[in-house]
Amino acid sequence: MSVYAVADAPGIRVHVADLGMACCAVEFAAALGRGLLVEAPDDGEPSARVLVVSGTVTDVLAPSVLAAWEALPAPKAAMSFGACSNTGGPYWDSYSVTKGVDQVIPVHSYVPGCPPRPEALIDAIVELAASA
Amino acid sequence: MTQVPEQARGVIALDPVACTSCMICVRECPDWCIEIDSHTEEVTEPGARRPRFVAVLDRFAIDWGLCMYCGICVEVCPFDALFWSPEHDYPASEPGGLVQETQRLADWLPSVPQR
Repeated sequence: MSVYAVADAPGIRVHVADLGMACCAVEFAAALGRGLLVEAPDDGEPSARVLVVSGTVTDVLAPSVLAAWEALPAPKAAMSFGACSNTGGPYWDSYSVTKGVDQVIPVHSYVPGCPPRPEALIDAIVELAASA
Repeated sequence: MTQVPEQARGVIALDPVACTSCMICVRECPDWCIEIDSHTEEVTEPGARRPRFVAVLDRFAIDWGLCMYCGICVEVCPFDALFWSPEHDYPASEPGGLVQETQRLADWLPSVPQR
């Protein structure tokens, strides 16, 4: 888990645990690479602790997602990033894919997209930090 | 909101006036994320030999949680009722919150780049 600041909203510092399960994780990296999210020093309470589940969650991996969520200290929020973790997305008819990570953990923000833009990640983080 | 290129595939806007409820987009969608409800109405025009039947759109909904933004619906629409818009800031806070109905989809229309 790392601490990030949102470049456009300097007041917001978020602890982000990125659970990159598939290709949506690349968009998380893109947000870092383009400087939309910047690494910040780990001092004091963050505005929010966010578990970002980005990518396809399979039934085999679901317990690991739950473990990652339970390991995160409160107060915390979970973000479902992309169609696969929202509803199963293109794998809606697959036998092995969890049809939405909200079957496993409580989700506070569903970000649509396949994949969502890095900007959509920033918008959702700002919204979560404002409601936390 | 952060600026993105205007040709970005952010959301699909609907022109409900152009839509004829032909269902082609619904059937072509690989994810089955589009829902259409419609009914037919009998229209009698003065001087016409027989009444016409027109399809009336009751409901057009897209589930963005399921959509994979492939754009097949935009490509196949024979009546130019669907358009790409770069808007991307519409996360939901509850399950099912990503289902957008006719009016919400029509509200995206002004954000469609000039065509």
